[in-house]
Amino acid sequence: MTSATTTAGVSAKLHLQDVSKTFRVRHGDDIEAIKAVSFETPENEVCVLLGPSGCGKSTVLRMVAGLEEPTSGELMLDGHPIAGADRERGMVFQAYTSFDWLTVQANVEYGMRLNAVPKKERRERAAHFIELVGLTKFSQSYPKQLSGGMKQRVAIARTLANDPTILLMDEPFGALDAQTRWHMQELMMSIVEAANTTVLMVTHDIEEAIFLGDRIEFMSRHPGTVHEEIIPDFKRGKRITTKEDLIGLDGYGDLERHILKLMREQGGDDTDH
Amino acid sequence: MTVRSGSSVYRRRWFEFLTPLGQPWRLILGVSIWVIFFGIWEIAVLSGWVNPLLVPSPVDVLITLYELFAERGFLSDVGISIARILGSFAVACVIAIPLGILMGSFKAVEAFANPFVSAWRYLPAPAFIPILLMWFGTGEEPKLALLFLGVIFFLITLIMDHTAQVRTELIETAMTLGGNRSQILWTVVVPAVLPNVLIAMRQMLAIAWTYLVIAEIIASTTGIGAMMMRARRFLHTDDIMAGILTIGVLGLLFDVMFRWLYRVLFPYLDQGER
Repeated sequence: MTSATTTAGVSAKLHLQDVSKTFRVRHGDDIEAIKAVSFETPENEVCVLLGPSGCGKSTVLRMVAGLEEPTSGELMLDGHPIAGADRERGMVFQAYTSFDWLTVQANVEYGMRLNAVPKKERRERAAHFIELVGLTKFSQSYPKQLSGGMKQRVAIARTLANDPTILLMDEPFGALDAQTRWHMQELMMSIVEAANTTVLMVTHDIEEAIFLGDRIEFMSRHPGTVHEEIIPDFKRGKRITTKEDLIGLDGYGDLERHILKLMREQGGDDTDH
Repeated sequence: MTVRSGSSVYRRRWFEFLTPLGQPWRLILGVSIWVIFFGIWEIAVLSGWVNPLLVPSPVDVLITLYELFAERGFLSDVGISIARILGSFAVACVIAIPLGILMGSFKAVEAFANPFVSAWRYLPAPAFIPILLMWFGTGEEPKLALLFLGVIFFLITLIMDHTAQVRTELIETAMTLGGNRSQILWTVVVPAVLPNVLIAMRQMLAIAWTYLVIAEIIASTTGIGAMMMRARRFLHTDDIMAGILTIGVLGLLFDVMFRWLYRVLFPYLDQGER
């Protein structure tokens, strides 16, 4: 199996080439939501899709997940085309998706159960990932007893325990309050480091994008396309575990200013969303 | 009204917007409306405002109710009525639950079955009584059929709607975890909709009582409704009222039973503290 190669010469896990998506609203009235989106996500990197609302970043993610079909273009994972949803592309949603009728442990085991992973291995992997997201004390609790941040941690553990090739996240912390979101971002940082996963993540939070992203695909809208690929070079070789680490670095302010400017230019001021 | 005494400078008034009521007061007030109702009724009879032949006093009704059960074999009528309800309702559920879930899950099933189901919903079940009587005579069949017809199409629609409302993200999550259609149906859709199925059953069981009484009043020699129709011929208004009371209490009992079942089957829906 041949992997596509990025400009940097690293093997790419995920490869999108000229991906477009047109929605048919009424007869002949087509809306080109996504136009010619191309980018690559190398193995073990966190790639962030960032952009103003309405730029179609979630649609791109959903096409990678196989939950929506592109009108044209090529989506490849590990060199083979993406066709429909599959366990190799596990997704964490913004809305809470814990199954109310299962305990935290059963939730985390759920994907493995679907895929007939033997019980012993299921137990062990679930325990490992529940610990990774810091919910060991709550493994026998039901989701109704958990806070929003804890429910998202269950969703992350459940997806990772299922051993996906790439972890997809659609504004996973968007519904959380500021403080919880900030904790979750730091937790995510440590998870990515510990679990060594490739991540494709959608957000409209600039700080979150810079904090977590090894590369940022900035998308513009009308039609939605990748406007600029940003690689936060200033983070290279630095060990960042907290938000303070990040904000203290030289280069952070410049990049944030640059992205804010892009947001302002590309976001426009229309209120159609 | 005494609501928590203290140094509060807020005035306590009987009628206040957005102010909750304590549990004891809720109970006292809830009981008092019945006390007032039966009180007025009793006074109206005792003072001779109404003809006791047409309106027996509540005490008389209670005495009659006791006699019905203790001396006149009313228990077998009640048993027959309950058996009719449960029998036809069970058959309706066996069809409606799987069909409703499939219709709510798959658009093709909905497109096929819904035009039929929704048309039947607009046909009042009692309209079928004459033809049911011609087909089945006066045995158990027409009663069971009426109950079945009265309940099933609404039950299907309710369950279909609840199933269609199972959150998309739950299904999509299972899809990206590698679930196939039947796995997702059995491990996501069914458990997600089950609590609402039970609620729909509770609502429709109440409707089933309505059809039961209609069926028993029109063509039956047994059951609570039949007893009430017999009593009418002999001007036994106390029997009729005792029958109404029995139906009310039975309906309430079934409702309580469903609420209990809900708590037992779905304990995970309890939000931590009680």
